[in-house]
Amino acid sequence: MTTYTICVFTENTIGILNKITILFTRRRINIESLTVSETERKGVSRFTIVIRHESREAVEKLVRQIRKVVEVLAVFGYLNDDIAYNEIALFKVATPSGAKPLDIETVNKVYKAWVVYWHLDYVVIEKTGTEEEIFDFFNYIKPHGILEFVRSGRVAVSKSPQSLVEYLPEAEWEYYL
Amino acid sequence: MEYKENQAVTAEVEEQQPKVEAAELMNGSHALIRSLIAEGVDTIFGYPGGAIMPVYDAIYDYQDQVNHILVRHEQGAGHAAEGYARVSGRVGVCLVTSGPGATNLVTAIADAIIDSTPMVCVIGQVAMHLLGTDAFQETDVIGVTMPITKWNYQITSADEIPEVMAKAFYIAKSGRPGPVLIDITKNAQQEMMTKAFNYSCCQKLISYHPRLTPKREQVEKAAKLINEAKRPLLLFGHGVKISGAEKELLELVEKAGIPCASTLLGLSSVPVDHPLYAGWLGMHGNYGTNVLTNQCDVMIGVGLRFDDRVTGDVSRYAKQAKIIHIEIDPAEIDKVVKAEAPVVGDAKQALQMLLPMINPNDHSMWRNEFRKYEALEDEKITQRELAPTTEKIKMAEVIRMLSDKTKGEAVVVADVGQHQMMTARYYQFKKNNSFITSGGLGTMGYALPAAFGAKVGAPEREVVAIIGDGCFQMTIQELGTIAQSGLPVKAIILNNNYLGMVRQWQQLFFQKRYSFVELQNPDFITIAKGFGVDGHTCEQRADLNDSLDRLLQSDKPYLLEVIVEKEENVFPMVPTGACVADIRLE
Repeated sequence: MTTYTICVFTENTIGILNKITILFTRRRINIESLTVSETERKGVSRFTIVIRHESREAVEKLVRQIRKVVEVLAVFGYLNDDIAYNEIALFKVATPSGAKPLDIETVNKVYKAWVVYWHLDYVVIEKTGTEEEIFDFFNYIKPHGILEFVRSGRVAVSKSPQSLVEYLPEAEWEYYL
Repeated sequence: MEYKENQAVTAEVEEQQPKVEAAELMNGSHALIRSLIAEGVDTIFGYPGGAIMPVYDAIYDYQDQVNHILVRHEQGAGHAAEGYARVSGRVGVCLVTSGPGATNLVTAIADAIIDSTPMVCVIGQVAMHLLGTDAFQETDVIGVTMPITKWNYQITSADEIPEVMAKAFYIAKSGRPGPVLIDITKNAQQEMMTKAFNYSCCQKLISYHPRLTPKREQVEKAAKLINEAKRPLLLFGHGVKISGAEKELLELVEKAGIPCASTLLGLSSVPVDHPLYAGWLGMHGNYGTNVLTNQCDVMIGVGLRFDDRVTGDVSRYAKQAKIIHIEIDPAEIDKVVKAEAPVVGDAKQALQMLLPMINPNDHSMWRNEFRKYEALEDEKITQRELAPTTEKIKMAEVIRMLSDKTKGEAVVVADVGQHQMMTARYYQFKKNNSFITSGGLGTMGYALPAAFGAKVGAPEREVVAIIGDGCFQMTIQELGTIAQSGLPVKAIILNNNYLGMVRQWQQLFFQKRYSFVELQNPDFITIAKGFGVDGHTCEQRADLNDSLDRLLQSDKPYLLEVIVEKEENVFPMVPTGACVADIRLE
């Protein structure tokens, strides 16, 4: 099984998420993570979809089917080596009185994670990194008692020197940047 | 370029009429019908109901400009629109209500997407404030039809109508055609537009760019392969009809001396008596075309998608051949077979570019190989089918006699099953764009409404539907539509009292365990007469000639029921999972 990251640029319209995901459903391809947000161009959304698949050919066919959706502007498929990518995770860690204190220095310096919210009974720690880095930290912090844990989907940019939006069809785009 | 010019025109018009005349303001329903008229729509197949009533009220005012045909079931509207679109090359239009009206249309939409048929379906929807409340006749039609439409969209305000309808028609007919569904809420139908109605046809979209002109280097690579080929075989499909590339196709095969073979939906694009026409491909196709598929050195596929009914076992399909795939839909390239030379573009344009690069050739030795297989097939199957010694009439003789009587020039609309395969095998198509059938989806019940739609789309042509007794009962109510229109649609039921194709499979692959395939049929002719459609039954071979004459000479709709041999099988046959070269003659 190889991990693929598929970046899809679409018009930002109602129902487009469905139009994309049904293509995965029909081919029995599970979505490991999915992140959607608007790009620097107004009205253009960027999807980052992570899947695992044993056949590169099947992924290429899927990419071509995604490209067929009318609202889709461009699609790019990547292997992990082609992209810089990260996720963000939030850990709600119990800090009851009398418990072993958190070693904030290790959290900060070794794991590059930060406390973003304090409460009497818990803290919220934010950790950014790859899936592996996040799970390393998960294992480190686990003995303290994790009350809640959430990971975002992957976000990724290509390692190519061009901006992907340069591949989008020409039009009079409005920019946020 | 055209787009910019159009925009300029629009801008000028706006400048000249800066003020909106009150008379120009109209409600959404009128805007919808005016949009259809502006798009050149002359026919709507539809069925009214609660959520589409404002639009039906508007149609009442435009009866002199657009012909609305009341079907008897929404599925019939869909297939009629498909038949209309397939015969005329124009966009078929359906108009139905929300909920059950829309879901009844779903089969036809699924049929249209897989057979690349341009269609715009306008569906009523509950008012916007009721969306998501499980209102009366509310169905999430956008959700339901997402996987089976080329594009779908929900209109919730009247002002959106002209622009969305222009987009709908552009998407439906451009590139690889397909069905577009527009769901329009009742409030959008009723409310007044806040600006003057102004329609300009869509020429271009930011996110959708069908490639029509292929890349030159792709065509050059294809030409090189064709010029070097010793045993080339050209396969053509529906794409040739859609792009109107029949002439270019013939020029190519004649110049290069390439034998050509047709898919089910490609039939009639090359006349069957053309010396380079090698036959029909696939599961029940011709013997030679299937066997020699695995002996050609270069395969040129034009406007086809290598359906599994064409390829059989893909792992043993044309492995020896270098494949050129001319196709407008890039997603079809490498989907089933790997193309050595893909050419993405419109078939007509691709062939036009290819022609001057092709060296004249003859390939007579290779062509003769097809003749050998033809002779064998003729002896083993065709002769026996066409001159049978059975007591009962056989399907093939009906089709061939019809073919002779119509000189191979009628529009033949076949339903789905044995009779469909027999029609494809034995009707001798001489004229372009003459065969309409449900190929990809295999929708039983397609033929009667589709034949009606085809007659509406091409009233000057003879239209004959070939229907099985099972299929006929799936959309039998459309006899009412046909009777009300009075159009001389001709239908032949080939009645064997069986779901014949399923029975054939049960015989061949399920040890003759005939599981729910025998039908106790009604008296079809009495039913037809009840609808006001005349007809008669033919049981004896001696009566067949006169029976077909009566059918064809009628200037009204007519139904001919032919009682055929109960347990005949369609051969040759490539069993599922077998290789095309292992095609069975018996």
